[in-house]
Amino acid sequence: MVIGLGTFALLWLMVPAGLTPAWAALGQSVATIEQDRVMMKGQRQSRSGAGYSIDTIIVAGMQIKEYVSPDGVVFAVVWRGTGVPDLRMLLGEYFDEYRAGLTASRHRTPRVREPFRMKSDRLVIERAGHSRSLWGRAYLPTGVPSGLRPEDIQ
Amino acid sequence: MKRFAATMTVVSLLAACGGVDDNGGTPTTPGNVLPISIGTSSVCVTINELCTSVTICQPGTGNCQTVPDVLVDIGSVGLRVFGSVLSTPLQQTMDVQGHAVGECTFFADGTSTWGPVQMADVVLGGSPAVRVPIQVIVPTFGGQSVSSNPCNDTVDAAPDEANLNGILGIGLFRQDCGAVCAVNTNNTLYFSCNGGSCAGTTVPLTDQVQNPVWLLPSGNNGVVLTLPNVPASGSPALSGSLVLGIDPSASTTPPAAVLPTDDGGFVTTLYKARTFTQSLLDSGSNGLFFPDASLVSCAMPLNGFYCPSSAVNLSGTIIGANSRQTTVPFQVANTESLVATDNAAFNNLGGDLSTFNWGLPFFLGRTVFIGIEGQSSSLGTGPFYAF
Repeated sequence: MVIGLGTFALLWLMVPAGLTPAWAALGQSVATIEQDRVMMKGQRQSRSGAGYSIDTIIVAGMQIKEYVSPDGVVFAVVWRGTGVPDLRMLLGEYFDEYRAGLTASRHRTPRVREPFRMKSDRLVIERAGHSRSLWGRAYLPTGVPSGLRPEDIQ
Repeated sequence: MKRFAATMTVVSLLAACGGVDDNGGTPTTPGNVLPISIGTSSVCVTINELCTSVTICQPGTGNCQTVPDVLVDIGSVGLRVFGSVLSTPLQQTMDVQGHAVGECTFFADGTSTWGPVQMADVVLGGSPAVRVPIQVIVPTFGGQSVSSNPCNDTVDAAPDEANLNGILGIGLFRQDCGAVCAVNTNNTLYFSCNGGSCAGTTVPLTDQVQNPVWLLPSGNNGVVLTLPNVPASGSPALSGSLVLGIDPSASTTPPAAVLPTDDGGFVTTLYKARTFTQSLLDSGSNGLFFPDASLVSCAMPLNGFYCPSSAVNLSGTIIGANSRQTTVPFQVANTESLVATDNAAFNNLGGDLSTFNWGLPFFLGRTVFIGIEGQSSSLGTGPFYAF
């Protein structure tokens, strides 16, 4: 998806009807992170790891970390804080799959009350924590650089 | 702790409180104790779902109702009740612009609740009523709906779907959000609703949904949960006690370890040489959740839970923010076999997660103390867990 235009209105114009809006992060270009920051009215800082970099957006008691591969693709997002950021925005094209996973989770029998977790070869999403400190993460297993263990995406 | 030991604890508390009626020795329930149970309700039918009853009154009146089947949750803060089970009118809270305040509450299981924040007089056990903002769960509040709302999620619609009438959040904190929501409109929890639309808003601490326990005139420093243990194959039902106030009397056994949490309410768990810094105790999640690649995962629909061919003995070490630590042995059995028993309470239900969540099985056979932030007790000042 083409990214990089400055304004909200233009971005909407770029998105064909029925498709996910263009400021999505997971699976998208590193350029989308700035769109996320603008949408969240947050502050942003970056740091590099071995074979990847992490962009962190800080806003209203929440910290959102976006992991970026050397070729500039966001392969993981991690959020934590008192609230939950707009996951439609952060998960982008994966949001509908997440919603479907949530629905399946709440309708399974026997009903269980457990931290949310969906796991496939292409997408892993977890939510956990408690009041004041909610957290969650989503990553694309095939996009994780070889030097980074999935359990270290935190 | 076995069932008999739990009974003894309750009796000891009764003696300490003088909770004996005039007819010569039949114990009555003292004011600071709420009965809690698993497997005794037609609403709280989820495995390891611990529930109680709460009385809710119209503020300043004797117009009250008792709401049964309310989840006992030390993983959340504040009382939340489905509007559909409330016959008692409560008092809507407003923001500075005079608009009705609504809230999104997010839970670790991926569910969320939406509805207005209203003042209620809440009665826990036989304690005096406390006036406290609670969340009334109403998916259509503020012109919203189950599928389209400020939570950006499909919110809980009804008690029979959520398997509860409400949630009694009596965790580590005073308010469910705290300072963040008092100063940031984009906190994602609190919303101001007017004319069918809702926008993020600030809410002062006193108007936030909060832990009713810390507002009690006494016994306001935390809670003590005591539950009996169950056999390895589980139990169809069990009952225990939720005591308001955590100062152990001379006749009760003090906890072996007091583990303060960090500011986020987390302790650290050391498990198989891995360290999990965002660990927590949570009576509202129904299993022990932690990562272990050596444990076989169950097939659908129980994928995510562990299904070892035979029960496995394990242990984890919980470390407090004061570096005090204690080792907790536990067992994980085959979840499919457990579920097939049709029992309701299990001490050996486990599943996969990337951190360590000590859910309901941890509480079986234990007395667990939860100290509320900023509240002092003989065990120290909260937030802490002790057991």
